[in-house]
Amino acid sequence: MERKGARRFQVLDLLQEEGGAAAGTAARVGAQTGVPDADVYGVSTFYSLLRKPGRRTRVCQGLTCKLAGSDARVAALRATGEEVEEVSCLGQCDRAPVGLDADHEALLWGEPGSISPADTDLPMNLAGDDDFSFSALARARELGPNAVIAELKAGGLQGRGGAGFPAHFKWNAVRTQPPGDSYVVVNADEGEPGTFKDREVMLRRPGLMLEGAAIAAYVAGAAVLFIYVRGEFKDCIRSLEGAITAAADHLDWLDIRIVEGHGAYICGEETALLEAIEGRRGMPRLKPPYPTESGLWGKSTLMNNVETLACVPSIVTRGGDWFAAQGKTEPGSKLYCVSGHVGRPGVYELPLGVTLDELVEAAGGYVGTPQAFSPGGASSGFLPMSFRDTPLDFGGLVKAGSMFGSSGLVVLNDTIDMAMAARHGLVFFEDESCGQCTPCRVGCVVQRQSLDRYLETGDASHLEHAEDVAWEMDEGSICGLGMVASWPLTTAMKHFPAAFEDRTIDE
Amino acid sequence: MSDTIRLVVDGEEVEVPTGSTLLAATARAGADVPTLCHDPRLDPMGSCRMCLVEVEGQRRLQPACAYPAMEGQVVHTSTDRVERHRQVLLSMYCADHTLDADGLPAERALGNQLRAHVEAFGTGPTLPPIGTPRAGREDPNPYIHFDPDSCIACARCVRYCDEVEAVSAITLAMRGSSTTIATADQVGLLDSSCELCGGCIDTCPTGAMSEKRALGLLGADEETVRSTCNFCGVGCQLDLHVRDGEVVRVSSPPPGTTVNDGNLCVKGRFATEFINHPDRLTVPLIRGDDGELHEATWDEAIRVTAAGLMGVKERYGADALGFVSSSRCTGEENYLVQKLSRAAFGTNNCHQCAAT
Ligand SMILES: Cc1cc2nc3c(=O)[nH]c(=O)nc-3n(C[C@H](O)[C@H](O)[C@H](O)COP(=O)(O)O)c2cc1C
Ligand code: SF4
Ligand code: SF4
Ligand code: SF4
Ligand code: FES
Repeated sequence: MERKGARRFQVLDLLQEEGGAAAGTAARVGAQTGVPDADVYGVSTFYSLLRKPGRRTRVCQGLTCKLAGSDARVAALRATGEEVEEVSCLGQCDRAPVGLDADHEALLWGEPGSISPADTDLPMNLAGDDDFSFSALARARELGPNAVIAELKAGGLQGRGGAGFPAHFKWNAVRTQPPGDSYVVVNADEGEPGTFKDREVMLRRPGLMLEGAAIAAYVAGAAVLFIYVRGEFKDCIRSLEGAITAAADHLDWLDIRIVEGHGAYICGEETALLEAIEGRRGMPRLKPPYPTESGLWGKSTLMNNVETLACVPSIVTRGGDWFAAQGKTEPGSKLYCVSGHVGRPGVYELPLGVTLDELVEAAGGYVGTPQAFSPGGASSGFLPMSFRDTPLDFGGLVKAGSMFGSSGLVVLNDTIDMAMAARHGLVFFEDESCGQCTPCRVGCVVQRQSLDRYLETGDASHLEHAEDVAWEMDEGSICGLGMVASWPLTTAMKHFPAAFEDRTIDE
Repeated sequence: MSDTIRLVVDGEEVEVPTGSTLLAATARAGADVPTLCHDPRLDPMGSCRMCLVEVEGQRRLQPACAYPAMEGQVVHTSTDRVERHRQVLLSMYCADHTLDADGLPAERALGNQLRAHVEAFGTGPTLPPIGTPRAGREDPNPYIHFDPDSCIACARCVRYCDEVEAVSAITLAMRGSSTTIATADQVGLLDSSCELCGGCIDTCPTGAMSEKRALGLLGADEETVRSTCNFCGVGCQLDLHVRDGEVVRVSSPPPGTTVNDGNLCVKGRFATEFINHPDRLTVPLIRGDDGELHEATWDEAIRVTAAGLMGVKERYGADALGFVSSSRCTGEENYLVQKLSRAAFGTNNCHQCAAT
């Protein structure tokens, strides 16, 4: 049991200073924080940037990076005697292949990604300039919390972190909590394979996001704002720090704390993220209670995604109706990430509800003959090109048996073996499962091993239980990761059955 | 707020105290909801997913052990969906557990709840073993054995060590399918803060955490004798497991049934070797004029002791005597010692060695 007054929230930073889970580290960090040594050890072995001490280069093993030749990078680095670790998607798919140096700085080996051209009529306008007058915050204060929430409602703003939950509900829930300390948390842990929009917001418009977060803090009556940024995004952290300094005059009432992630996709899940801020293993909590009732240190907590908050200033200044009108099938504009077999991978701000063809047209057209796409990162599985006219929005993709998620679109042309593509998704979830609940902990391995046996032998009977296992992962898992972790396999099997028939394996 | 709430479980209306979980409500209705990570002494974790039930109005199945019972809820514990969930889940557990020749989760000295659930509910598809390697450790401690291949990562041991013992010697470590139980830096328990209370063994549902000396012994050929621990005055109840007239191990009665609520300390749980030890004194010994110890009867021994003590009192006065009772004595025994001291010998020089 931790000592009274223990400084648990310092555990992760101290572990990072120590360079990870080396012998003796847990005892030293335990002594400094009052958290039991074993507990510290358990925390240190959870996070991929901490669990193995020592310096090494990390190379992304995501699908897009593999397609762009990351294997050759790994081989070349190893040939120079360098220690290389292959890691989960680094959130740079538009610049593939990519890596991370020993100081966790990004190694960008590919071409830079594109963005939409500047246009002041775009709510986020990534190519525009940040404006540190914070006039939207001033306007929000004039309107008052209830009117701000009413504008969000009129704007129909749906959470951009993946679930599409109406923002005004959560803001209102925090407003209606009994007075007391409350927190606002920005979810900047962007880790869904194929997704890199929050990165671009933080790099290009950190002030916009910060202003949205400040408005959230004002409405929630919070005095402390946490920004949880994935540890692989060092440049985003520097960019945010710059914006906090530039906006200091407007934010003296707000205590802003940037918390760095340490390598765990699951910490993007809201309750796992709260555990990570508190200094624990990033294992999702049971809901209820929801964070708005009992979040960080048990206090009412409002959490939103970076992009969600970046939409807020324009909603406040130009009105909810204006924002809603920017959408096509659903309200607002949307940052679409697109990578894979397209001409100009990047982040495009388009009306919510464009089709794949419209999006890819903005992104320089298809490369080769398209075969499949993931509409919302690995979690959304694969759809065949017959869905190219389906609106890419929250409602439409659910109807298509998929989901919009974080709008990380990955396009695959017909040179890709869909069974191999599915395998990449399965490996990702297996590596990133927190391991807390059995359907996900065991199910992820069962699925990946079955697919491996099929790929080794060509015998399709190895996949006979895939549907049953996927069903239980969906029904029985605690959080969204386990619920969708089979989708790369089951959606590929459903839409590309030929790729999963008995096949002859070349010796 | 009213003190009780009413809800419907499998068609039967039940009433439970406000603040109860669904597990309390389903138990009240007599429904057999299987659990693994649940221990009434611990905060619910809800991670084993064994206890999921259907709650009308909830899209997802919900963990009975953690989900709050609410007024008017309608709960189903054995629909086709719940049954299928249990079976496929148990298939997954079996793919990650030491199995016996019949393909069932291995039997263990203290039982294996996983095996019991497989027997009661059956399994779905037979899945190949996943064989994930897990970090293990050399641990020369005399009492506690940990088998990573039978561990289901329910964290009952970890939560017990934290929430009941307040020791936190062990932790969940690694993540994903490599998740396992570890000490800080994987040192042996003797080098950790562990107090060897053995509570982690007691709470473990599968026998992955087990008693070293009872490894391989199954409960079936044992006689169980309920007894009271005589190491201190608390009066913890324990179950002595007797094989061929010898105590082979000790377990605690289930939580909630006796004063010690399923807990024991290192002495009560493990220190039984003295029972059959050749050096153990089983009859009183009196030192004779020849300087040697000779076997005697209790009457003789008490007479000699009394005479010796009375002799001191007569020669030097009662306050030359002092009575110190053992910390193993009960309150009643301590009462008798002070009675002996004050009434029989006339001195207030009496003390109990556990008094501070
Ligand atoms: C496995 C998993 C990973 C997630 N990762 C992220 C993430 O990286 N960023 C994010 O904003 N939301 C992520 N989410 C969604 C969050 O739980 C939460 O819904 C979101 O941050 C709420 O903000 P929003 O309402 O603005 O979308 C993830 C959810 C799950 C289940
Ligand atoms: S579903 Fe997976 S990631 Fe989510 S809590 Fe369970 S084990 Fe952890
Ligand atoms: S024996 Fe007791 S103190 Fe030691 S690890 Fe087990 S529960 Fe913790
Ligand atoms: S050792 Fe036993 S109690 Fe501990 S996590 Fe494993 S199965 Fe659960
Ligand atoms: S007993 Fe309820 S989830 Fe484990």
